[in-house]
Amino acid sequence: MSASVEPPAAPSPVLEAVLRTLARRGLPTAEVYRKRGRSRRVEQAEAAATSAFVQERAWAVRAGSESGSFFAAGTGEPRPEGPWPEPGGRPLALPEPEIPEPAPPSTPADLDAPLVGEGEGLRLLASLGRELDSALPGARLLRAALEDGWSEGELASSRGVRARTRHRVAALHVEARGGGKASPAVALYLAAREARRFDPLSIARRLAVRLEIAAAPLAEPFEAPEVVLAPPVAARLLLGLAPLWIGSQAASHGERFRDGDGRLASPAVSIADDGRLPGGVFESGVDGEGVPCREVVLLQEGIFRQPLLSWRDAGRAAGETSGCSRRPSWRDLPTPGPTHLYLKPDPRLAASALVGAVRRGAYALDVEGGMAVDWEAGRFALPVCGFRLEGGRATSPLRGVWLTGEIASLLRGIQAVARDLTFHPLDGMIGAPTVLATGVELRRGA
Amino acid sequence: MAAHLTSPWHDRPVPFARLDAPAIARALSQIAERPEDLADAFFERREDIELAPDSTEGPGVRTLCEEGFAVRLLRGSETFLASRDGIDGRSFAEAVRQVARALPSANYPEPALPLGPWEDAAAPELGEFPGLVLRAIRARHVGFPLRLTVRRHRREVAVVGVRLAAAPEREVFYSCAAELPWGRHGELLTELSAASADGVAAACAALFRARHAGPAELASGVAVLGPGATAVLLHEAVAHALEADTLAATGRPEAALGLQLGAACLDVLDDPAAAPAAVARTTDDEGSPVCRRWLLRGGVVEQPLADALWSRLSPACVPGAGRRGSRHLPPGPRSSHLELLPGGAPEEDLFAEAEGGLYLEVASRGALDPASGEFTLRFPYARRLRGGEPAEVLGPCALRGRVADLLSRAAAVGAEAHPAGAGWCAKGGQKLPVWATAPALRLEGVAIA
Repeated sequence: MSASVEPPAAPSPVLEAVLRTLARRGLPTAEVYRKRGRSRRVEQAEAAATSAFVQERAWAVRAGSESGSFFAAGTGEPRPEGPWPEPGGRPLALPEPEIPEPAPPSTPADLDAPLVGEGEGLRLLASLGRELDSALPGARLLRAALEDGWSEGELASSRGVRARTRHRVAALHVEARGGGKASPAVALYLAAREARRFDPLSIARRLAVRLEIAAAPLAEPFEAPEVVLAPPVAARLLLGLAPLWIGSQAASHGERFRDGDGRLASPAVSIADDGRLPGGVFESGVDGEGVPCREVVLLQEGIFRQPLLSWRDAGRAAGETSGCSRRPSWRDLPTPGPTHLYLKPDPRLAASALVGAVRRGAYALDVEGGMAVDWEAGRFALPVCGFRLEGGRATSPLRGVWLTGEIASLLRGIQAVARDLTFHPLDGMIGAPTVLATGVELRRGA
Repeated sequence: MAAHLTSPWHDRPVPFARLDAPAIARALSQIAERPEDLADAFFERREDIELAPDSTEGPGVRTLCEEGFAVRLLRGSETFLASRDGIDGRSFAEAVRQVARALPSANYPEPALPLGPWEDAAAPELGEFPGLVLRAIRARHVGFPLRLTVRRHRREVAVVGVRLAAAPEREVFYSCAAELPWGRHGELLTELSAASADGVAAACAALFRARHAGPAELASGVAVLGPGATAVLLHEAVAHALEADTLAATGRPEAALGLQLGAACLDVLDDPAAAPAAVARTTDDEGSPVCRRWLLRGGVVEQPLADALWSRLSPACVPGAGRRGSRHLPPGPRSSHLELLPGGAPEEDLFAEAEGGLYLEVASRGALDPASGEFTLRFPYARRLRGGEPAEVLGPCALRGRVADLLSRAAAVGAEAHPAGAGWCAKGGQKLPVWATAPALRLEGVAIA
């Protein structure tokens, strides 16, 4: 979830009491996390509607000694006296406190905005349905679910880490079908800081285009010397190739794809991860273990700089570590991963300029399935849909095709990126602008 | 060797025995203003204890103890839900107020909600199971790297309505996940025993033996599904296909009644009360009595799976199959324990009439696209059938097709049904265990690749 960091505050007495009790029990390494949150969910299906209001109040404790450790989580308030499970397995490692980077000067207003109301949420979904019918007559929503949530967390560890976070996130899941009896269905999943940021008109247009493409006949294979990748496609590629820029093995993993100058991609490609990204859905001053977040440039103008590393990777790979441990729920152990991983945009270029410049090629608008990567062969394949482009204009729909090719050719063949950076809820928030790529193929099969 | 490691949880009192059901019912009756309104309260306590593999970097023991409740008002086709972590009278009254459609003239009463205490989060039986599995693997004269995660899951629920309060229910079961360099095997178990360890070991050894096997392909031939694979097939192709909300995605659920969905040899039921004792239910997660529900009789659709909502929207549907993955989500129609009634074919006959075909002992996962009816069942390995018995091991493969077409290809049902944990189902983000009792099944004219 998204967040802003609060300045370190006086630790909660409950959390401190848990740490003290665990230490007395011979568990000197411990961390206590407490979370509470609220969310509103409205769902409209064809035959039924649901409105739910959820309140969560829970905690999680990790504790251990040299002989083992445990993770315990539960609802309500943590009780210092337990019961606590017997530790097992390996000792527990926890991060040392770091001085956080300066917090934002003020809390973003949307963190304090009220949750979307029941009627307001249902009206937004109804509006989406009307706009869809207007954009593509006969098309309808099969199901639309909107969730708007808020939470705050508090963390204390025996190492001295003290952190508080606040989060705000909204998600929209939509399934729609075209007007015909045998029309195919398509789905969209979107995330934003709050529900009011979802624009029914633009979402409906996106659905309508997807439905029109889905209803078209399968495309015949054709040569596409230039392919424009819309943000959802570029983001999926960025995530699919994550082993090249995430984790302590990334440098060795990507070695074979780099040229003699250390160049992994074309100069148009700069990639960063930033847990503090202003306005980002997961924006946070600290990560799920209280480690300060910051921007880390992974690729700069095609040159590999360093991988995304958590504190656990310190000493295992060259580069600075950053706060990138995610805690999706109080039930989960914190695990490292991208927060806002994104391909940096070029503010000088509009997406329409990239599309308009294509003489013969394709515009890959969205993905139709998961990405396959054969690391041994150095190849990738991603099922996409979109349009054929000729003279900068869309000439016919394109579906049932795979964007495929060599990973090295894809990375070095990126000619330009536009300024329309958008983020997508995948494994973390993955962002990309529209991209003009060469050196890739469109095939009927993978 | 311990023959039976299962914990004694089944004999302990459920924590909801002392809920003040009349007071809860009185509060609910204030929001059920219309005669057709359904208002209920769902109380849940769950405990998961996990023993992680020794090689895991994180904590070796993980426990999750949670409890909470949800208040629901069902009015026409609309569901209003308020849910909370933790259980106390004040939160309950607040949730009732949030669900109410009209402002009350006075505050809602705060019922007494005393709960039984949490027991120590300990599951000593988990610690012995990995050793049993390793010994059973060694007994097969093989050895390979293995990461074994064992969990105990305990869930206790109680539903109180305006007029009726169902008796609290409890489910206790285990799950086991084995990770090998060549694949993964997951299984649900109702007990940890030498026999269940042997089953896990057999599945792991089969994955090991298939690690370099050539691809399993069948252009159009005969395949025999083992009981475990049949259970997954039933879950995906029959149960999901006959859930009222799935049927509603393409039309009216009652329109499916009388439809010939599968071959005449298929008699498929959902009977939560006939599940293994540790997970058997007498009521569903809405407090409705469960029933022995004929999904297919002679291959013909007889009664779709329905919960309270869908039994109101489609009066031909009978409630009793409402399940919820969590208090924070509304119930939905789902299966609990599927049965395929045995046929008359002994296993050797199933194999004898499948020369050159494939034996698919277990399925790793399945998926159904409700919109298209397209169905996929994946198998981690296969065995070629030669001379009336399974012969060489082959690699991973998948069976794909449309539900009705695939089920029409069932040609013979085995004579001996076996209990089988069909696995976890995560439809709509609600993760639930599903169980099955099934014999082997022979399919003819199917393509596998």
